[in-house]
Amino acid sequence: MTAIKQKDLILYSGLIILGLAAPYLFSAFKVQLTYLCVLIILAMTWNLQGGEMGYNSFGNILFYGLGMYLTASVQVGMFFPLAEWTESGGEKTFVHTTAQYFQGIGVGLLVAAIVPTIVAGAIGYAILGLRGHYFAICTLGLGIAAGEIAGGIEIIGAGQGFTTPPFPAEIVDPEARGQFFYFLSFLVLVLAFVFVKYIYGSRFRLILNAIRDNEDKAEAMGIQTMKYKIVGWMCSAFFCGLAGGIMGGLIGYIDSTDVAFDGREMGVFMVLMAILGGKGTLWGPVIGATLFHFFKEGLWTFILGWQYVALGVLIVVIVVYFPEGLMGWLREKYPERFGEVIDEKDRKAQVEIK
Amino acid sequence: MNKLVKLFTIFISAITLTLASISSSFAKVEGEYIVLGSAISLTGKYSSNGVHTQNGYNMAVDRINKMGGVKVGGKSYKFEIIYYDDESNPKRAAQLAERLIKQDGVHYMLGPYSSGLTKAIAPVTEKYKIPMVEANGASRSLFTKGYKYLFAVLSPANQYLEVAIDLAVEKNGGKPVKIAQAFEQDAFSQDVRLGILDAAKRTGSKIIIDDKLPKELNDMAATLAKVKAVKPDVLVVSGHTKGALTAIRQISEMKVDVPMLAMTHCDAAKLSKQHGKKSEYALCASQWHKNLSYKDKFFGSGKKYDKDFKKEFGYAPPYQSAESSAALLVFKDAFERANSFDRDKVRDALKTTEMQTFYGNIKFGPGGQNVAKPMILFQVRCKGDVCENKVVAPTKWASDKFYHPIPKWSERS
Repeated sequence: MTAIKQKDLILYSGLIILGLAAPYLFSAFKVQLTYLCVLIILAMTWNLQGGEMGYNSFGNILFYGLGMYLTASVQVGMFFPLAEWTESGGEKTFVHTTAQYFQGIGVGLLVAAIVPTIVAGAIGYAILGLRGHYFAICTLGLGIAAGEIAGGIEIIGAGQGFTTPPFPAEIVDPEARGQFFYFLSFLVLVLAFVFVKYIYGSRFRLILNAIRDNEDKAEAMGIQTMKYKIVGWMCSAFFCGLAGGIMGGLIGYIDSTDVAFDGREMGVFMVLMAILGGKGTLWGPVIGATLFHFFKEGLWTFILGWQYVALGVLIVVIVVYFPEGLMGWLREKYPERFGEVIDEKDRKAQVEIK
Repeated sequence: MNKLVKLFTIFISAITLTLASISSSFAKVEGEYIVLGSAISLTGKYSSNGVHTQNGYNMAVDRINKMGGVKVGGKSYKFEIIYYDDESNPKRAAQLAERLIKQDGVHYMLGPYSSGLTKAIAPVTEKYKIPMVEANGASRSLFTKGYKYLFAVLSPANQYLEVAIDLAVEKNGGKPVKIAQAFEQDAFSQDVRLGILDAAKRTGSKIIIDDKLPKELNDMAATLAKVKAVKPDVLVVSGHTKGALTAIRQISEMKVDVPMLAMTHCDAAKLSKQHGKKSEYALCASQWHKNLSYKDKFFGSGKKYDKDFKKEFGYAPPYQSAESSAALLVFKDAFERANSFDRDKVRDALKTTEMQTFYGNIKFGPGGQNVAKPMILFQVRCKGDVCENKVVAPTKWASDKFYHPIPKWSERS
């Protein structure tokens, strides 16, 4: 990790420049670009469980939704009575000053990162003993339960939803809001990427892989698997919470089951994107999320009403033709480009055995 | 690794090119067309009402275009609508509103279906100062936010069933009643609930069951079992189309006897057709009914609208369609009075709207809600096997007397 290769340097600086310039180059697409950043964050962090650790979690949406509600609640609660803000569907109107708005969202995001991380630790301690399908089903329940519970809590708006503070009116430029959220999400994306890349170069990843490949053996080797599984999940929760907080502010309206604990869409999408790109790779989720977002934005509006059928077809195509994702497929085709050395003799021998 | 980097470069430049080529946006007024934008629920839990809304919009666009279009600055323009499917999801709706405005260059919006989605879209249209006339977002809280570009042709949600409680008290000899209520956990239904809470307070009535029902409402047996046990004077249920269908299905299956049943969305759910006699005596809140005596020159009367709509789409128009059609009449009127395509002028014209349409009188209050039109109540009544919605309140339009109490299931044939 000491010396980043020159080629990588070019790639990364190119991407960062593109990322920074994007909202100016494609001014009309700022919101979609923000979504893209959030989708990549979600896919990348899901990959830590689903790809590296072999634990298919449908529960990451829990942290996303939690982050969303927390950010909005803190942002309101710091300056105004939260209960009055959400009462009767948010009839009373309080106005944040510019300073209050940014202070609020700053502190809110901080809370949105920390609390889900702690929650992930606590829940992880309770359920990460489950393996395989049992874990998947259990986490699926988490998201659904959270949505139903949030829909009953009056102080966060219950079934009527929670209107997040509007962007300060003192900032007249209509582009400012989009830019603010884009750069916020891009910053979190860069942080998440750097963090995941760091994990990829660390022993931690090897441990996660060991857990995926054979948990019992890993345990027999003296690895405290439970500890690492929990820490892994907490890492994901941290970024999911941040992503949720940003999305809440961007969308402007939080609904318990459709926006926050949106397991049916975001919860499934994050899995799908990681699988599409290739789980268990650094770039897979990034590519998967990007492709998926383009597919969704580009195609869906042309097939009004049929988009979920198209999505179904896409899933079938991925599963049948790219079971290892795009990166996996590339890796199989051009292993040498991934730095894998092929022992021709061994390969032939294996073919003969088959 | 080298080739991988190349692959990336190609990939990214491809994206850049695609985006750059799309971003050449349309204009708000293209040639002879005034382009309106709308995110509509074509899939998801609101899909049936989303389609009612879309049909209403389309019907009005066709009619207005055929009858000379919109005259602005001495020239005649036609309406055109760009639709996107919001999947009944507020997140998607907000994103699509952004897309309509930023990428498609839409300068005038029509509302989506449901209060929740309108709540998600309103901040976006407000930010870009885009006038939006909406016909399906009834939540009271939409009109207290100080939105300047939001105009709703319908009455707020809390007024839907308030009258029903007054009616129940009246039938009870002016004495307070016992209310059982069950509402879906969504913005609209919860607002209807607020209206009932107000009415209960006003009349001193007691709420003995106050249940929340999940979205995707397919079962409310638990609530009904309680209703059977405690015997309230009136049962109030609201949960969009599915709520109405589920309530009637399970009330008839479980043979729940209750003197009065008040609901929303009976006509959108086509209750009288789908459940026939089982739905008889249900009391329903509605924004509109074909028998009302309002008129305009595009659709004539409510009855004519009903006939034309049936011919075009093959089913009787629920009020969701009627109010959606009215939204376009409002837009047309505002464009012509503003005599300009300037958004702020159109907005000012909208603000001073005062007109009659087949759907009702329209005049916007300071919050953007329609203050010129009362809600009505109708009751499902059957003759033989044919069931129809009969207006029972307010008395001005009542064609039938309100039937009370509902006969017990054991006495119904």
